[in-house]
Amino acid sequence: MINLYFRKLTNILLCICLCFFMLLLTGCWDRTEINDLALVLGTGIDKTDDNKIQLSVQLSIPKAMGGTQQGTGGGGSGKPTIVKKATGSTIYDAMSRLQEKVSRKIFWGHNRVVIFGEALAKDGIRKDIDFFARHPEPRLRAYTFVSTGKAIDILEVIPELERSSAEIARELANFKIGMSVTVKDLLQMLNSGADSAALPWLEINPTEGLRVNGTAVFKKDKMKGSINDKLTRGLLWLRDDVHLATVTIEPKNTKGSISFNLLRSKTKLVPKIVDGKWQMIAKITTEDDAVENDTALNLMDPKIVKDLEKQLAQRINQRIRMTLNLVQKDMRIDVFGFGEAFHRKYPNEWEKVKGHWSEKFPEIEVKIDSKAHIRRPGMSTEPQGIPKNEVKK
Amino acid sequence: MIEKGRISAFQMAIMMYLVVVGTGIIFIPGITAKYAKQDMWLSPILASLAGILAVCTAFQLHKLYPKQTLIEYSVNVIGKIPGKVLGLIFLFFYIRMNAGGIRIYADFVAGSFFTETPLIVIISTMILVCAFAVHGGIEVVGRTSQFFIPLYVLFLLIIIILLLPDLDFKNLFPVMGNGLMPSIKGAITPQSWFAEFLLTAFLLPFLKDVNKGRKWGLISVFAIMFTFVVTNLVILFLMGSITASFTYPLLTASRYISIADFLQHLESIVMAIWVAGTFVKFSVVYYAIVLSTAQLLGLSNYRPLVFPLGFLTMLFSIWGVANETESSSYNSTIFPFFSLVVQTLIPLLLLLVAFLRKKSGRRKPN
Repeated sequence: MINLYFRKLTNILLCICLCFFMLLLTGCWDRTEINDLALVLGTGIDKTDDNKIQLSVQLSIPKAMGGTQQGTGGGGSGKPTIVKKATGSTIYDAMSRLQEKVSRKIFWGHNRVVIFGEALAKDGIRKDIDFFARHPEPRLRAYTFVSTGKAIDILEVIPELERSSAEIARELANFKIGMSVTVKDLLQMLNSGADSAALPWLEINPTEGLRVNGTAVFKKDKMKGSINDKLTRGLLWLRDDVHLATVTIEPKNTKGSISFNLLRSKTKLVPKIVDGKWQMIAKITTEDDAVENDTALNLMDPKIVKDLEKQLAQRINQRIRMTLNLVQKDMRIDVFGFGEAFHRKYPNEWEKVKGHWSEKFPEIEVKIDSKAHIRRPGMSTEPQGIPKNEVKK
Repeated sequence: MIEKGRISAFQMAIMMYLVVVGTGIIFIPGITAKYAKQDMWLSPILASLAGILAVCTAFQLHKLYPKQTLIEYSVNVIGKIPGKVLGLIFLFFYIRMNAGGIRIYADFVAGSFFTETPLIVIISTMILVCAFAVHGGIEVVGRTSQFFIPLYVLFLLIIIILLLPDLDFKNLFPVMGNGLMPSIKGAITPQSWFAEFLLTAFLLPFLKDVNKGRKWGLISVFAIMFTFVVTNLVILFLMGSITASFTYPLLTASRYISIADFLQHLESIVMAIWVAGTFVKFSVVYYAIVLSTAQLLGLSNYRPLVFPLGFLTMLFSIWGVANETESSSYNSTIFPFFSLVVQTLIPLLLLLVAFLRKKSGRRKPN
């Protein structure tokens, strides 16, 4: 009986001991309290005149961040973010200088955006990307951009809808209206045999704020030029990155235009080598819904729809041709992934041209084979607001 | 017999699964990608041959000398002194291997998460926990592995499923663009991990159902091969040509997960399961080390050896390796051949000699 009582007692003691040990679980060397951290939301990298790096980071101010979430006309707490900058010979070097000015430990785990200044991009970005893949805190998911002028100016934009300008840039990249390139994608581009990269081009419009406007085109890691919004569409079609798109065409034989909402599209690059001639066939299929029709065409007529589908496909072809003319023929930079496609299908032939790909690339004959399917006319049948007898049959 | 506990063949399979996958999944994808490039998923298939060979060798040897471990029957096969020397070689190999494994684990944890925690704390806490498990005997090690395996597989599956939206299947091509050679080169390091199946030679005598030993051993080899093939494919689909430029590709991949902007930053799960997996790995190898030492010295109990040998392993892992670069280059250049000799060739020779001896021994009475 006493023995049993004793055993019960030891069991209870053991339980208490175990509970006590649980307290030790909370402690470890690398414990950092959240209120000792300064979260980096966006990073800007610029070149200084003496060939160093100017690092600018956008830090969140937790107090103000909470304030904006409560909504209703608060705003008294001021800006939700601050931008700090420092110079150094590497990013981490600059960061250590930056730390001297920030009372909390700079934490990269939530950095979502990396912006390269134009001057730095023209000088080469390879040496500045390593930090984001080597240091354990930053993530490869961060989106990369090139900015007109200085990157720090982008970070300093005070946003309207979002909490910070880094957040705007990230959301814009998420929409995939223009190129959307994460650090991982950028590393892949720089590492591919094509030796080129394309990053979205971010600019500040004095009245409208931030805007992704076109694409910066890189040869190796140096920016060689940029293409505008329109040509970027062609690039996206070829790279199979089209996500959110509206296509507006002005049909023949009638006045006005029709807008389509792109539902999904698929681009397949089929490389071919026939008798030593390198060809690339781009097979594009898209599905669209009509969303606006200000012509007199009746979208319920199968014949008209068929005709429109053809014009839509032609429109896509045109866009792609425009891009190809500039980027393939003039710039001679393979940002379309043609090199990779050839590498995958013809590894042996690729091995031979790999060294002089930039000379071979402009010679490739590109055939575009696009098909458009208009799936639905939208919520209306005949064009709205036109007398019945004027509707074209 | 020195060990009273008994495990089932199924438990052995689980233990062996975690022995190979535990550290392998941290280290193997990067090394394989370095040599095999986009054929990195073929390498584990080739490498698994070493595992099949090891399972069969260990099982055949066990059939010839039932109820004995590798250390005991090597004395019976090649005589007392050569047998003891061979036992010493095995012992040294496994202590070095375990120390190297713990160092991989410690560098991984210290490099990616606990940057300020001293290495010795990470290593000694792990060895301490393992020491308790080993002190408890083979049954405890078997049961802890059985406890961890569902979590391990589940979390690995979750990571893979969450990565699906970011995968680009085109990265697979060209398949064998440079022939079979790159994938064979890529298989050199994984084969040494698969060869660790020789450890079954230390576990088979304690099986409740020995006749199922080989079956479950082979199932375990295939499960590991499948795990490596799938993880390598996922990593390849995600990162393509840049896979080899990361130290821990699967960690990097899991950090890339982002579902709807809120399901992200999942790498702590990855670390948690890897700690569990490596714990089982070190415990099993640790157990084999302790058991072999006791048998080599002819002791009646192995428990007093647990802590001293743990301390020795700790010293090996801290003093034996200068830095992560050295550890990585040792594991991809020297260790595979060391392992090939100790874990594959010597046991095969042992089996050959044992086989010939039994044959001639059987003939004599006639």
